[in-house]
Amino acid sequence: MNQFLSNYRAFLKESAKSDRYHGFDIRGLIRVEPFLSFLFHDWWRVDINGLEKLPSDSGALIVGNSGSFLPWPAFMLLYGLMSARLNPRRVHIAFDMDWIADERLHSLLRELGFIQYTADNVKTLLNRGELVAVFPEGAAGLARPFTWRERLIEFDWVKLMPAIETKTPIFPLATLGCDESVPVFGNLDGLAKFLKLPVFPVTPFFPWLPFPFNLASLPSKWNMSILKPLDYEEPQDRDGLEETAMKQSQFAEGEIQAELNRLLRQRWRNGNKSQSESEII
Amino acid sequence: MPWKIRPNLEKADPAKTFAQRKPEFVARYKDDQDPFDYSIDTFARSEPFFKFFYEEYFRVQMEGIENIPDEGAAIIVGNHSGVIPVDGAMMAIALLNKPVPRRIRYLVTDWFFTLPGVKDWIAQTGQVRASRQNARILLDRGELVGIYPEGVKGIGKPFRERYRLMDFNPGFVKLALEKQCPIVIVSTLGGDEIYPELYNMKPLARLLKMPFFPITPAFPWLPFPLFMTPMPVAWRVIVHEPLYLPYGPEMAKDSKLVLQIARDVQYTIQRDLNRMLRERKSLF
Repeated sequence: MNQFLSNYRAFLKESAKSDRYHGFDIRGLIRVEPFLSFLFHDWWRVDINGLEKLPSDSGALIVGNSGSFLPWPAFMLLYGLMSARLNPRRVHIAFDMDWIADERLHSLLRELGFIQYTADNVKTLLNRGELVAVFPEGAAGLARPFTWRERLIEFDWVKLMPAIETKTPIFPLATLGCDESVPVFGNLDGLAKFLKLPVFPVTPFFPWLPFPFNLASLPSKWNMSILKPLDYEEPQDRDGLEETAMKQSQFAEGEIQAELNRLLRQRWRNGNKSQSESEII
Repeated sequence: MPWKIRPNLEKADPAKTFAQRKPEFVARYKDDQDPFDYSIDTFARSEPFFKFFYEEYFRVQMEGIENIPDEGAAIIVGNHSGVIPVDGAMMAIALLNKPVPRRIRYLVTDWFFTLPGVKDWIAQTGQVRASRQNARILLDRGELVGIYPEGVKGIGKPFRERYRLMDFNPGFVKLALEKQCPIVIVSTLGGDEIYPELYNMKPLARLLKMPFFPITPAFPWLPFPLFMTPMPVAWRVIVHEPLYLPYGPEMAKDSKLVLQIARDVQYTIQRDLNRMLRERKSLF
């Protein structure tokens, strides 16, 4: 506990400014922090850059590509922002959590900062100057087959509308490596419907191994980069709003895909070195 | 002798049969004084070969070809694919089969114009040395100008980078703004799989002054015509509606706007490719 307090003093100071609306609770974060830290530093060696582009105290929306099988990129973003040297911040991840039947899991996620996606929730948070992340690929991104890895599924443009309505900046976030960490072979749609899950991906681990092991993943190297904010004009009316949202979501999708292509090319051509290393050599 | 085939071949004049099959096309371009050595006879001679590839071999599924304007200048922009750029030839055949047939003039990198056998053929079938000046001349003459803004790097992509676009060179947007002509976006699926390039031997390419030196399952190993045999992948091409830019010619100097439009075009093609890949059931 004390260790946690001293490690994340700046982060705590920042998040103490706002009260615990939307279920955010620091105790949940303290419980999972060692696990996230292990994943971030040792298992996936996440290389996160572009954090300095985010505003230090005003609201912003982060739009990212979701990883396959479990929303790990959301957790890594959460941890990366929380442990940032400069300007640590707390992020709310807005996604569809209605289907989670387990009370304990639901409340744990809420304590970490996950919220149910509704336009009102997102607008409230943005107006209060909070960071909100959305993953507009939705559940389809979680069952992305391995052959389509690092290729985006069409974005749900509706998820960008609250940000455009409140005129907050939108930052695309590209995550490379999450699709390789859990190869998904297929999606059992019928079984998913029967179990009331959004998707039922089949991985080398998932339905086969006993409980904690079926959530396992491979230690692939991750790169996350926050890109420069989208540049849009304020729409005048409802039609203009929808058009802007659609256009900006397509542009964000393109930006993320182009960044993934760039990172992949760099990785394949220079080996697994990071950018700074390859520059030195 | 029963196997005397040569005289029979001479009897069939490809230019004449072509004129019978495509009278509108020949009438349109017969008396054309072209500054870039376009020759309708050479085109007629190579057309059956590419027609076979279009119809039988790649079974190109063309969507929205009617979106290409019948008259006037336009810039056709697409993703470059294949180690040998046959995507341009497929587009030329598709345009020939339209109700109002047209020809397309592709801007081609200088390297192809240094090859002894290919040089003349490439110019005579309608390709032009890539330069801003040549493109301006063509657009002033009201031609369709085809540009692959990825450049030659786009076709030298290794197999595992298939359908991952390189960043577009924004020169084509500048041209479109200067000449106030529409941009037509074309996304091609299938081209990146016809020659699976396993490796690009850069030192050898530099030595031979080639843009890239691909190693494919066939390329340096098999004798001449065999190494050029592509895989019979089914192609799918989507042609978008023409994009009329709502800016005046003076905006061509605004590099931020130009880059923004170029990125927009690139992302449209990339999204199309992702969607088509997802919808594709089988490679062949």
